[in-house]
Parts: sequence; C-alpha cells; structure tokens
Amino acid sequence: MNSLVQCPKCHATLLEGMFNQPELLPCPACNVPLLVEIFPSLFRKITPGQSGESLMVEGESSCFFHPQKKALLPCDSCGRFLCALCDCQLNGQHFCPACLETGKTKGKIKNLENQRTLYDGIALSLAVYPLLIFYFTLITAPMTLFVAIRFWRSPLSIVRPGKIRFVVAIILALLQIAGWVMIFIFLSTRHSSHPHAQS
Amino acid sequence: MPKVEYQRLTRSRPRGGFSVAVASRTSLWLGTDHLLFVDSNGYTETYKRFYFRDIQALMVHRTQTFTIVNIVFSIPIVLFLASALATHTTGLKIFLFCMAGFFAFIVLINLWRGQTCRSFLRTAVQTEQLPPLSRVRRVQKTFNRIRPLIVAAQGGELTPEMIASLIREQIQTSAPESEGISQNPGIPPRLDS
Repeated sequence: MNSLVQCPKCHATLLEGMFNQPELLPCPACNVPLLVEIFPSLFRKITPGQSGESLMVEGESSCFFHPQKKALLPCDSCGRFLCALCDCQLNGQHFCPACLETGKTKGKIKNLENQRTLYDGIALSLAVYPLLIFYFTLITAPMTLFVAIRFWRSPLSIVRPGKIRFVVAIILALLQIAGWVMIFIFLSTRHSSHPHAQS
Repeated sequence: MPKVEYQRLTRSRPRGGFSVAVASRTSLWLGTDHLLFVDSNGYTETYKRFYFRDIQALMVHRTQTFTIVNIVFSIPIVLFLASALATHTTGLKIFLFCMAGFFAFIVLINLWRGQTCRSFLRTAVQTEQLPPLSRVRRVQKTFNRIRPLIVAAQGGELTPEMIASLIREQIQTSAPESEGISQNPGIPPRLDS
C-alpha cells in the first residue's frame, strides 16, 4: 500500500509541510483548504503472513487442519491446535478459521458483528406510522405486540441497547387496541339500543 | 465476551444524496480501542470498526456548502424584506417580516455551526468518508478527542522531522521500482545508452 497521502479532492500527492498542522492549509494542486493528520501506522510495513513450519520431530503436536505442520498454540474457542497459517488473531485472542466464521455468523464474537436488525425500531414504526390512517391500526397494533414480544430478548442496537422503544411501541399498541375495543363496544351498544332503526 | 460500551462522538446525520430519501443516517461512536461507524435506516444498522492501531491518516477538506447555503437563503431574506418595506398592508408586512426572519434564522444557524467540510479516514485497506463529520469545528473537536487514543495505540506521535525523513525514504524506496518498468503501459521504458 502506497504510504504517500493524496489530497482527498484532487488526489495530488501531498508533501511533508501539509501534515499534522493545527490549521487548514491549501492543497498545492487545487487550493482547497485541507487538514491532514498522519500517524505512524502509515509507514508501518505490512509483515507477510506465515505459512507454518513443517513437522520435523516425530511426536510433536501437529495442526488440526494441516497434519504436516507444527502446532503453535490452541484455538481459544474450541481448543484445536493451530499452525501459524491457521492462527487468526483478533483482539489478543487466537481463533481457528472455523470458530472465527461461527463467531461471526452466530454473533458470538461481538467485534465481528457488522449488522443488526432493529426489532424495536420495526415495532415502533408499526405502532406509529399506521396512525396516519387509523383503520390500519386494527391490523398493525396486534402485529406490533407480536413483534415486541417475539423479539424482546433479541440483541438490539450495539450503541443504543435500551428497550425504551419496545416499551413505547407496546404502550401505543395497547392504546390502539383499547381504542378499537371501545369503538366496537360503542357500535354494538348503539346497535342494540336502537332496534327500531332496522324495522 | 465483555459488554462493549460506546460514547457518542457525533449526532446522526444523513449520508447525503439519495440516502436522504431512504432515511439512512450515520453516526460516529468511540469504543475502547476503536471507532465505530454506524449506518442506520431505522430497521437495520451496519457497523464498521476502525481500530486505533490501524488508522493511518485523518483528512478533511473544506466544501462550498456553507457559502452556498448562506447565499441561497439570503436571497429570500432580501426579497421578503424588500417586499415588506414596499407594502403598506400591516398584516402582509408582518407576514413578510416573519418569512424574512425565518430564513434569517436558518442563515444564523448555518453561520453558528461554521464551515462545512468532508472528512475521510484512511487505513491500509480503505479510505472511508465520515459523513457525520461535516463541520470543521466538530471535526477539530473530534480529532482532538481521538488523537491521543490513536497516538497511544500506535506508540507515539510523528514529529515534523520524522515525517520529513519517512516521506523522503518512501519516495526513494518507490523510485527504483519505477526505473525498470514504465508506470504507463502505453509508454515504452527508457533505455540508457
């Protein structure tokens, strides 16, 4: 990867006087005011990956996935022995490729999680948006309750983990259901109190 | 796994362009050893993590949006004010002054928030735009907050002398590679006689 930094607007290469300055300076090529801060990792050379040492001594532990290669350490999740090639490091822990994949798909390794469904947002939307046309709430209010109860224990937003949206959605849905019940009661009592209107 | 807690760095802001139509909003959060970039549409959230040890550069360039907004919203102010001064009907005068005041309020908000910009974060594998950092003042506040964390994760700050020598070294390292092979495949390599 090229260590030279380019202007984000015109992609001209920037030279030393542009970096880590306290104020915005004009790009030498396009004159747009720029602020660029660089850090030591920009110049860090990428170390090539290791392929693992071959087994030289009989009786030495071998990698679970590569029996001809020497095992270096066990997987922190399943305990299988791993060679240098199979060792996947993440936040100071060592995983085998299988555990890494499982950790990602099942959400066990939180730092690999890159998407979540916001069931509380869905429930709140089901409770709020149909209010624009109130008749829809006859269907969406029970749906809101179903979503809120069904997914109550599901993981929510990483950054906003509270259940306040679920609570608000449930309250709104209950109010809507109560409103419909009152409407039906009102209509049925009116119908029964005016039987002569039919004849 | 321990529970990760995040501190908010920026409010949710639209990504811009057509994302406004699909209500996609982005925000930046500070974790223990990384920045978390969150893209949310209200129903799903997508996360990107930038570990402090991997951040190579933070880049910001100013945009013209600040100036354009000021000009665009100043025109109705002038028109409404002129109309208000020209009219003799009290009710209409008040209405036109209110309309001028409304647009003036927008301009004042824009002035208070400061210059607009676009921010980018560079790692070894990508350069990602950070839409939540769209005002220079907010960018400087955020950079001041995360700079010590990045420096601590990477083992120290770069002094101007170090930057100069590293860049010169980088240029010298990349120059011999291009001597034998032309960078433009359309141009034949130069042969020294």
